[in-house]
Amino acid sequence: MIKVKNLYHSYKKDDIYQVKDVNFEVEEGEIFGFLGPSGAGKTTVQNILTGLLEIHKGQAEVAGYDMKNISKDMFNKIGMSFEQSNVYSKLTALENLKFYAKLFDVETRDPKDLLKLVGLEDKANMRAGEFSKGMKHRLTFVRSMINNPIMWFLDEPTTGLDPSIAADIKNIIREKNKQGVTIFLTSHNMFIADELCHRVAFIVDGEIKLIDSPRNLKLQYGDKMIEVDYIKDGENINDSFSTILNEDKKKLKEIIDNYEIQTMHSKEASLEEIFIKVTGRGLV
Amino acid sequence: MFKKIWTIFLRDLKVNIKDFLSLYILLIPFLFAIGINLFTPSINDTTVNLAFIKEENNQLVTYMEQFAKVEEFDNLETLKERVERRDSMIGIVPEEGQYYIMIEGNESDMDIEYSKMLLGLYETGLNIEDSKTEIIEFGRTIPPIKKTLVNTSVLFISILAGMLISLNIVEEKVDNTISAINLTPTSHNSFLLGKSIIGIIFAIFGGLALVYITGFGAVDIGKILIIISVSTIISILVGFIQGLINDDIMTAAASIKLLFLPLIAAVLAVEILSEKWQRFLYWNPFYWAYKGNDLVLNKSGSWGQVLIYAGIVLFLSGIVYVFLAPKIRKGLE
Ligand SMILES: Nc1ncnc2c1ncn2[C@@H]1O[C@H](COP(=O)(O)OP(=O)(O)OP(=O)(O)O)[C@@H](O)[C@H]1O
Ligand SMILES: [Mg+2]
Repeated sequence: MIKVKNLYHSYKKDDIYQVKDVNFEVEEGEIFGFLGPSGAGKTTVQNILTGLLEIHKGQAEVAGYDMKNISKDMFNKIGMSFEQSNVYSKLTALENLKFYAKLFDVETRDPKDLLKLVGLEDKANMRAGEFSKGMKHRLTFVRSMINNPIMWFLDEPTTGLDPSIAADIKNIIREKNKQGVTIFLTSHNMFIADELCHRVAFIVDGEIKLIDSPRNLKLQYGDKMIEVDYIKDGENINDSFSTILNEDKKKLKEIIDNYEIQTMHSKEASLEEIFIKVTGRGLV
Repeated sequence: MFKKIWTIFLRDLKVNIKDFLSLYILLIPFLFAIGINLFTPSINDTTVNLAFIKEENNQLVTYMEQFAKVEEFDNLETLKERVERRDSMIGIVPEEGQYYIMIEGNESDMDIEYSKMLLGLYETGLNIEDSKTEIIEFGRTIPPIKKTLVNTSVLFISILAGMLISLNIVEEKVDNTISAINLTPTSHNSFLLGKSIIGIIFAIFGGLALVYITGFGAVDIGKILIIISVSTIISILVGFIQGLINDDIMTAAASIKLLFLPLIAAVLAVEILSEKWQRFLYWNPFYWAYKGNDLVLNKSGSWGQVLIYAGIVLFLSGIVYVFLAPKIRKGLE
């Protein structure tokens, strides 16, 4: 569904690339997570794949369309939920969706059904300008599915939403995927990636560090973390260490030697910890 | 494609009639028309302007004051200068015991005939009292100031059309919705056309409403439409550019207001400057549009003349288009 080869991108069109030599493929029916800290280049890659940014160097193919030579028809097949909500503040929620629906050449979904899906049915006739941030985000989210896309791009779909709405959104994503929709999901939230994605790519400073399934990653790195509670200068400290990284081993030894250990046990690494371990970088 | 263009236009219309600022712009042609009607009847500009040399023949001047507006000048030189100005001013100059009429060339035939006749009446010694006939209306039924105001307002409305477009573009920018449109199978051209319609319709309907309400309804509407359409092109282009480069409505509107300068320059030039200065305004599309409108409002322009003026405006707009179009395209990405 997506094929990306040697993709580079520089906003200033110089030698400093914000996206460097990115290669990956997304299979049909897959939920592919694109994970990385802020400024890693996730949105940039997504914008290239949706044609919002011109492709300068490298190749990309989405839903069978070559991104170097985009056919307008591609937009009937893809949908994208923006990281930052962008709806007309002077139109109501319903008017926003009705207007957007008319810009497609394919059959579109009933705007009222969509509003219901994200709990906005009571706010259908309220101007989007009067919406809260989360409400706008939900409107932007459902708008992206109005043309029944077979390839669905989601940029931080649950960021900033309260947990119950985030859970609803996750269910919608799972449901759509069950119906065969391929999903490219961008996030710096490892929990949603862990829950939803079949495979994830770790991206840092514009480079992909690793691509694998969350399960494989856990098998590979699981059971190899040690969580320690200890007392340092009268303060309780909780920390976890890898048992394979030399640096971590040294630190752990130092703690055991110098401080009073409260508890210590091995545990399965979370995706977040694996990310830190693999990339040497935190996620925020 | 037409469905999408229409959808984009209807959205703009819906937003514009609900928004105070744009609604105000939409109503301006009517406000102007009413204002012009209220203002112009009080201006007594229906008679001919005559220029005399001071103290040369006081009897003649007193006689003429009964029928025309009279101005006196110190000598032939200053009189000549005055006649050469662009407005309608006819000199009555003595030469070897007779009088001849000095004109610049742009005075209407009506005015010239009227002056000749007044001179003839004077020479035959006729007075208003002993004339059995009444001199009712030799002047024009439409005061020239009214025509000037209507003409200027029509062009002013075309600039407002650009402002309306820029408001709608700024709205898209502030809400960041252009990227959402870019993710639909709507081409840039459809988007631009859809966004232009409100301006085109406003310029045309606003212009026509103004022309009708101010009593120029008998002019050739086809001709006036041609001039309005071509003179709106530049305003639309500038509207798009200003909408795309500004993040708030007020700065965009302020930049568009700069278009009033060439418009005012064109009006002043045509109405006041003498022939030899005219060529300094040939670059100005409003100059040609104003002259074109003037012919149409006078009912004196043939299709050929109107099309030549429209063609010049179109050509000048084309040059502006070549410069601005790539920037507009870029701004949409
Ligand atoms: N319009 C732009 N012009 C110039 N540089 C940009 C632009 N947009 C993004 N960048 C730069 O490109 C890099 C990648 O940004 P991008 O938005 O893709 O990050 P991200 O991974 O989506 O981050 P976040 O998690 O915060 O959304 C950053 O260094 C950013 O400063
Ligand atoms: Mg981002």
